[in-house]
Amino acid sequence: MNTYTALYPILTIVTGALLIILLEVFLKKEKKDYLGFIAVLFLLASGAECIKFWNKGFSYFEGTLLLDKFALFFFLIMILTVIFITLISLKYLSLQHTDHGEYYGLLLFALSGMMIMVSSRDFLVIFLGLEVLSMASYALAGLKRDDERSSEAAIKYFLLGSFASAFLVFGIALLYGAVFSTDISTIMNFFHVETNFSLMALTGMAFIIIGFGFKIAVVPFHMWTPDVYQGSPTPVTAFFSVGPKAAGFAVLMRIFFPFWKEAVNSEIFFHILWILSVLTMVVGNLVALRQKNVKRILAYSSIAHAGYILVAILAGDNSGLLFYLTVYLFMNIGAFSAVIALSRKGKEFLELEDYSGIGFRYPWIGATFTVFLFSLAGFPPTGGFLAKFYIFSSAVHKGLVPLVIIGVLASLISVFYYLRIVIYMYMREPTRNVVIFSYNPALFLVLFLCLYGVLMLGIFPGNILLYIKQAVAPLAF
Amino acid sequence: MIPLSYFIILSLILFVLGIIAFFVKKDLITQFLSVEIMLNAANLAFITFSKSASALDGQIIVFFVITVAAAEVAIGLAIILLIYRQKKSIKTEDIKSMKG
Repeated sequence: MNTYTALYPILTIVTGALLIILLEVFLKKEKKDYLGFIAVLFLLASGAECIKFWNKGFSYFEGTLLLDKFALFFFLIMILTVIFITLISLKYLSLQHTDHGEYYGLLLFALSGMMIMVSSRDFLVIFLGLEVLSMASYALAGLKRDDERSSEAAIKYFLLGSFASAFLVFGIALLYGAVFSTDISTIMNFFHVETNFSLMALTGMAFIIIGFGFKIAVVPFHMWTPDVYQGSPTPVTAFFSVGPKAAGFAVLMRIFFPFWKEAVNSEIFFHILWILSVLTMVVGNLVALRQKNVKRILAYSSIAHAGYILVAILAGDNSGLLFYLTVYLFMNIGAFSAVIALSRKGKEFLELEDYSGIGFRYPWIGATFTVFLFSLAGFPPTGGFLAKFYIFSSAVHKGLVPLVIIGVLASLISVFYYLRIVIYMYMREPTRNVVIFSYNPALFLVLFLCLYGVLMLGIFPGNILLYIKQAVAPLAF
Repeated sequence: MIPLSYFIILSLILFVLGIIAFFVKKDLITQFLSVEIMLNAANLAFITFSKSASALDGQIIVFFVITVAAAEVAIGLAIILLIYRQKKSIKTEDIKSMKG
């Protein structure tokens, strides 16, 4: 494989983004949908590139571009995410007066940033990828320009996001001061050789955890999450809850998997992550209990899910983590698609009260939404159950029993607020007149695909686990 | 010659000042400025370490960080302007339509 052909998956995405922004100027307002289809075409092309690379190529540009199976698996997850997001946005944008053509371009730019993040071993490149992702995300959050909440979401995301990336840069600077390299494997070698950590390297690692903690919304760095998730346009919220989280966890896996094995005294960070994980699971689920807005409930639920995924990082269970992220993609995007389905021109139905009686008025949407909520809560036979089961059982094997007990209790709490939405949908008399715009084929396609994904992963997880086993193999080096 | 450790201490002080200003100030532009100060503290640290190792890569990283900071300015000021147009204010206490 040529060094430059290795850039194709990312390059395809960037080309698509630039082309869309260029075409945006020439297209009439009614025809902005075409840009979405162009985006999907480029996404499919990039996905095909990734599949072609699956058994080839490894490391390019001296380790700053890694196309190992791990990165390619994340590429595919993220491309699938953005395809889903594009499809659910098509009608939503014109219904909610947000039909700016650059939306799809920004989505693709954000995707290219995530791809850069997961495919590198060098902290500088990871940081640059994170910034590409963040810049596009800030703009996406504020895309409803005439809605005050959307602008508020943008400014909160922007201020706290750039605050967090300042921590990340300073952390990288301190690690550079200790090791004189920004390469993750060199840094891990340093931790392997050095028996007592220098204070500088320790602080550097801590700052890097803080920087990524903001991105993946770990308590106590989650303050921005509910407001940003509530204020952003709903498809963008769905994107935030899956894409950047997957990218952040991919980087954490690249850092911590060798770290647990090699670092001489990694206990400090083990304890820090342990506490973060417990806080995230408990606080996320408890605060979700008293929310009245469905987007905020899903925001806190996504915080709680970050806590469960941290358990997988602590247990060093890479395949469990990848499986969790795959299931999480389907169930979370599915849930948000159901929320988007319940909207009409200029109006979204987001209060819990709006959902009373929906299950009978719109049986299909109600039923699929219920399946996604059951999956998020972790009921069999959905994928959500297996994902939690894999993570918690591997944590028990590693002897993290207290952590698992707290995790299981926290997910019991979560059952309450997930089921509350279901109860509203099926056991309450409709109190509000909810009429939705129902001609939305792309959205229903996504709903169907997510439903299929959640159930298939729950009943026949074998196929995907085979690929996941291959994907985590490069981390073991 | 000034010892290199002085520069590290200065950059730490700048970084901490940035954090304090971010939480104390109630004005979007000033908060944004404090983030920029934190980034520049990191830049100073990079240059110092690079000098002490007599390696160049630390100084190259600084250029990337400066570019990122410039991009952040572009998007940040646009968002702050958007807020100002809607609320005729850039005080943080006026930005509270979402709670819970």
